[in-house]
Amino acid sequence: MPVSPRRALGAVVAVVGLVLVVLGGWIVVQLGPSGEARFSAISKAPGAIVVTSDVLNTVDVPVRVTATRRDRGAVRLAAAPSTDARAILATSAVSTVSGMHYPAGTMDLRASGSGALTDISTADVWRLASRGAGSAGLVVDQGRGPETVVVTSGDATALTDVTVTLTWADRAWFFEALAAATIGAVIAAFALNDLWQGRVITAQSGVAGTRASRGRHDPRRHDRR
Amino acid sequence: MIRDDMIGDEMTRFVRAILVSLVCVVMGTSVSGCGATDALLGIHRAPKAKATSAPLTVDQAKRILSRAFTAAYLGETTTGAAAQGKLRTAYTGEGLRGVVGRVKLASVQPRVATSPLQAPPPTLLAISRGFGFPRFIVAQTVASEGGLPILHLLISPDAATPYRIAMSVEMAPPATVKPFDPLSQGSPLVSNGTGSLVTNGTGLAVAPATLLDRYAAQMAFPAKAIPKPPFAADSFSGQVRAGAAGVAKAVASQATFVQVHKVVPHSVYSVRQASGDALVFGVIERTDSFKVKAGQNVNTVANKAFVKLTGKKLVTKAASITTLEFVVFAVPRSTGEATLIAAREQIVAGSGS
Repeated sequence: MPVSPRRALGAVVAVVGLVLVVLGGWIVVQLGPSGEARFSAISKAPGAIVVTSDVLNTVDVPVRVTATRRDRGAVRLAAAPSTDARAILATSAVSTVSGMHYPAGTMDLRASGSGALTDISTADVWRLASRGAGSAGLVVDQGRGPETVVVTSGDATALTDVTVTLTWADRAWFFEALAAATIGAVIAAFALNDLWQGRVITAQSGVAGTRASRGRHDPRRHDRR
Repeated sequence: MIRDDMIGDEMTRFVRAILVSLVCVVMGTSVSGCGATDALLGIHRAPKAKATSAPLTVDQAKRILSRAFTAAYLGETTTGAAAQGKLRTAYTGEGLRGVVGRVKLASVQPRVATSPLQAPPPTLLAISRGFGFPRFIVAQTVASEGGLPILHLLISPDAATPYRIAMSVEMAPPATVKPFDPLSQGSPLVSNGTGSLVTNGTGLAVAPATLLDRYAAQMAFPAKAIPKPPFAADSFSGQVRAGAAGVAKAVASQATFVQVHKVVPHSVYSVRQASGDALVFGVIERTDSFKVKAGQNVNTVANKAFVKLTGKKLVTKAASITTLEFVVFAVPRSTGEATLIAAREQIVAGSGS
């Protein structure tokens, strides 16, 4: 018996609704009510740590960059136009955040350069800067990109064993995901209901048709005779 | 029995349809999964650098001015190695040469102007446009007790080197500075070779390098005729030439006197203004050379600056005094003469034998 176009469409709509429910629900659970996405990595290679604009400026919400030294030494974070940050670091040993994995919350680091780090704190290219003992954080707002964040010890000393965390927070993401899940549930419910109703009507029509045909001619009765 | 079979068939088809669709959607989302998540989280490509924006925010520029002027004030009002360090933090290039000379001669020369830090907060006039180097900041201060407004040019030659004062020059009344482009856009530097031969509409009445060269040449002593000077007559060059003529006359019986003016290489910066005109900053080095005539001795006690710089009160062979002349011109976009709007001179060195 061929499947009617209406029922095929209903099935597709139901599946789309279910996918929305699953995807939306999953993101709701992952982000939480604060709508926070967090990624971190531990840099063991000596040198500075660099977060380029390809990571920093790919969303429209502020990014919080946090660096924590295991040895509790001084940490300095600074943000500058990417061209300036590249010019300053030039051949210095750096670990660059090269990739992020969601929902694992991890980041890839790519080591490059081997030169000693110069004291970058005297340059005037840094739009934002923050320093602390053991840990420091910097919130980079959007709108002046492309910018790069550089994590150093605050002087020419190379960093080792530093945990870098990037956090994006947008409550809208949580509510958008919640809305997607809700809309998906409603769509799926209507589609499934329609499919169910159609199935019953088809079954009842099929039974009625069978009874009617039996009334006119029932070969099995003749056979039984 | 038949009805149950049919319902069973319907259920099987229904479940099969759902499963097939689900598999399709899962495969589709797994292929474009990253894109879907990216879209949901609003992830997009990083923006490209805008060539028409300023590399500094206004707050950054004000912090830089505050730091430079504070260091300048401390460097000029204290002594010792720390003061020298502050001066090197505040000034660069010929600006540093000039301020070192001024500090050295502070006891024998009147203060040229009130320290910029003692003035009300500086007015930020212009900052660079784009991300190339060198970058600049143009600011103006007016001493709280009055006096002439001072134009300041701060330069950063590369990303690693901070902005420092390249020159601070008193404006000549009644000169004014035409407005620059908005600070958020920054103002472009004009190539020193940009002159009237440039036909793309962005030229100037005279190329900055040519302007400075000809201005320096017309101040020479003995005087040289400069045909069709591209600048209007001004009191500063008039005073310099009159001073040179006076010195030559005063020492005529004992020595010959020559004065040479030469533009300091890499000291010329031209900043485009909103009207298309440009403000041209430059430094000219003036060398006063004395050649003592045979059998003559020149007593230099009256020249306290020379004595302070060389320790010599008597010259028997030759002597020279080096002075820096900081000048700022307003250069019109298409036609007309450049106008000197600010000038300052500072003795920086001397020698004698």
